[in-house]
Amino acid sequence: MKVINIDQKKWTKGIDTLGSSYKLIGPVAEKDFHTFEILQQGQLPDMSFTNTRLSPKEVVFPQSEDMFVYSLDQNDEDCNILKEAPKDYSPRVVLGIRPCDARAMRLVKLNFDTEQYKDPYWLRLYEATTFVGLACDQPCATCFCTSTGCGPYHEEGLDILLAKDGDGFKAKVLTDKGRQLAEASGWTDTADDGGAFENARRAAEAGITSKVATDRLRQMDTLELYGADFWEDVSFACINCGTCTYLCPTCWCFDIQDEVHGKKGKRMRNWDSCMFPIFTVHTTGHNPRGTKLHRVRQRFMHKLKYFVDKYDQGIMCVGCGRCVQQCPVNIDIRRVCDLMNSYGSENACAAQG
Amino acid sequence: MGVEPDRLHFSWISSAESTKFVEVVTEITEKVKALGPNTHYVKKEAKVA
Amino acid sequence: MIAYTDKVRQIARRLLEDCSVEMVIGFRKGSQPMMNEPCFIKKAEDADQLVWDGNCGINLANYLTGRKEKIAVFAKGCDSRNIVTHIVENKVQRDRLVIIGVPCTGMIDKRLVASQTEGEIEAVSETGDKVVVKLKDGGSTEFDRRQVLQGNCALCVHRNPVIYDELVADLVEEQTDVDHWADIREIEAMDVEKRRRFFEDLLAPCIRCYACRNACPLCYCPTCFVDESRPQWLGKGQDQIDVHTFHFLRAFHCAGRCTDCGACQRACPVGINMRLLTKKLEKDCFELYQWEAGMALDQRPALDTYKPDDPEGFIK
Repeated sequence: MKVINIDQKKWTKGIDTLGSSYKLIGPVAEKDFHTFEILQQGQLPDMSFTNTRLSPKEVVFPQSEDMFVYSLDQNDEDCNILKEAPKDYSPRVVLGIRPCDARAMRLVKLNFDTEQYKDPYWLRLYEATTFVGLACDQPCATCFCTSTGCGPYHEEGLDILLAKDGDGFKAKVLTDKGRQLAEASGWTDTADDGGAFENARRAAEAGITSKVATDRLRQMDTLELYGADFWEDVSFACINCGTCTYLCPTCWCFDIQDEVHGKKGKRMRNWDSCMFPIFTVHTTGHNPRGTKLHRVRQRFMHKLKYFVDKYDQGIMCVGCGRCVQQCPVNIDIRRVCDLMNSYGSENACAAQG
Repeated sequence: MGVEPDRLHFSWISSAESTKFVEVVTEITEKVKALGPNTHYVKKEAKVA
Repeated sequence: MIAYTDKVRQIARRLLEDCSVEMVIGFRKGSQPMMNEPCFIKKAEDADQLVWDGNCGINLANYLTGRKEKIAVFAKGCDSRNIVTHIVENKVQRDRLVIIGVPCTGMIDKRLVASQTEGEIEAVSETGDKVVVKLKDGGSTEFDRRQVLQGNCALCVHRNPVIYDELVADLVEEQTDVDHWADIREIEAMDVEKRRRFFEDLLAPCIRCYACRNACPLCYCPTCFVDESRPQWLGKGQDQIDVHTFHFLRAFHCAGRCTDCGACQRACPVGINMRLLTKKLEKDCFELYQWEAGMALDQRPALDTYKPDDPEGFIK
C-alpha cells in the first residue's frame, strides 16, 4: 500500500506551514489530561496522548455558541430584528483526532444533516474542518470500538489517517480535503510500506479485548425493552450529572437560551443533557421524564435502540470508553448494552423448544 | 472570591435607629466610591465561543 | 478494610432475612479499577454482591432521600454525619433507617494513584496498609495506603460513624496530628487580586456537568437555582461569571452543613478541587461557632440559631 512518510522534521515543518492557511487544533497536555485546543503559532500538538478526557466534538459543536444577536434599543434601526451572529468559518484542521471520535462526527451528522433539516452552525463548522486522525496502537481497557462498527484504524470521517512510525508518522490520505492539506503541508513523500500499515491495523484491532454484543438490539421490541425489569437496578447509582453526555462524542442535544444585557441581546445554544431533571420539562410544568429511572433509560434507549431503529447505522456509540472511565458512580454502558441485547433471550430459547 | 472587602458591608439597623442608618450609608458610600466602579462579576454580555 | 466485606454481607443478609428492612444500600464491585458502584439489595440471597474496600468513596446518604422503604445503609464517618444532617433537616426519618456504621481508614484517590503510576492500570488491590497496583504490561507498583488517600480522607478527624445501630468492626483510632486548614490558610493569605486569579484558574476547566452538585447529599433542592427559569438567576453558557456564580453559590448553600466527605471532588470529571470553597465555610463555622456539621441529632445547625454572644460585630 502507498503511504506518505512524515519524519519528525517534516512533521514540524508541515505544521508550521499549515498555520498560515488553517486554524490548527490539536491535543494539548493539561494538568491531569489532554484536551483539544487551538494551537498557537509554533506550538506542536502533543501526539503522545492516549485519549483526551473530553471528546473533540466541541470543534464543530461548541458547548456555548451564539446564533443570533439583536438590539432592543428603539433608536436603533435594527431594533427587534434577529441578525445572524458573526462567526468564523475559516478553514481549520484537527490534528490527532482518534478514529472513534471521527466516526462519532459521522453519527452526529446523521442528525444534523437530514433531508428535512440542516443545522447550519454544525454543518458549516464541519465543512470548514479537515480531520487528521491518529490511529490507536495502544487502546485502553475501556475501549470497545471494534464492537460498535469502528476500530483503532477506522477511516470513516477522516481526511487523513496517521499512524505512528518511530519518531514520525505514516499517513494514508483518504479524501480530497486530505489531499489538499497534504499538499499544503508538504507531506508528499510517498512510498510503498510493504503492508506495515495493514499489519499495524490488525495488531491494534486484536489489542481491543473489551467487547459488547449489539446484534439483537434491532429486532427487540421497543416497548418490551422500555418496560424491562433491569432499569431500576441500572439507574439506582446514577446521580444525574451530565458527565457521560458532556464527555460523549455522539451526544448532540442542545438548549436554546436568550440572554439580554442592557439593550443588547443574543440567542445562543448550549449543550444540554438528558440526565438533567429539567431536560424535557414542559411549559405546563409536567415532566415526562420526572425520575432518574426515566432519564437513565432515555439515555441508553436513545443510544442503543431508538437510534438503531431510526437510522439503521448501528448504535449511537463509538466505544471510546470515556463515560465508562469518568462516570462518578461507575455506570458502565457495556454492561447496560449487554443487558439490553440479551433481554428476554432466556424466554426466547424456552419458546423455541 | 476576590471581591474587595470594602465593597460588601453587613449591618443590623433597627427602624428606630435613623442616625445609625445615615452614618452607615455615608460610610459605605465613601468606601465604595474610593474603590471605584466594580469591574468583576459584572456581565455586560455572555462570552461564548 | 477489605476484611469488612464478609461482615457487610452477613449483616445485610440477616436484616433482609428477618425483615428488619426492605432494602439495603451498599456497594457492589465496579467494572473499573478503584471504582465501586452504589447499589441496593432487596433479597437476602443477593447480599453476596456487596463489597467493602477503599473504593467506597461515594456518600451513600445521597441515596436515602425521597424513598418510602425502610432502609439499611452502610455509613462511614462522613456518611453518618450527612445522615444526621438529613435527619435534622427533616429529609429522612430516623425510624425508617437502620444505620450500619463502618469505621473508616480513608478512601483511595483513584486519580492520585493513576497520576503516580506509569502505564495503564489493570487492577488495584489492598492488603493491610498497602495498595498494590497491577499494570496492564504485567508490572506492579506498591503504595503506602496513607500516601494515596483522597485529600479529605487524609485530613479526616471523624473516621468513625457518629450514629449507628450496629458496627461492622471495632472503632478505629481517630487522627489527631492533621493540619485540617493548611490549604485554606494559604488562600486566606493571598491578596484580593491573587485570590481572584487563583479561583479563575481553579474553576477554568469546569464544564458545568454538575457532577459536584449531584454527588453531594446536601444538594437535594427540588429545583436547583441554576436550573430555575422563572426567574432565571444564572446564564447557562460557559461564561466565566456564570461558572463562578454557580460554584460560589453552591458552596454557600452548603455552609454549616458540609462534612467534607469529598464526594464533589471525587465526582468531578475534570479534577477541580471545589472542596477549597466549602472548606473555607467549614473553617469559618468552626472558628466562629465551634460548629461541626452532623455531629449530633439534638444540635441545631450554625445558620439556624441565634445566640446573643454572636462573634460578628455587625449584628449588635
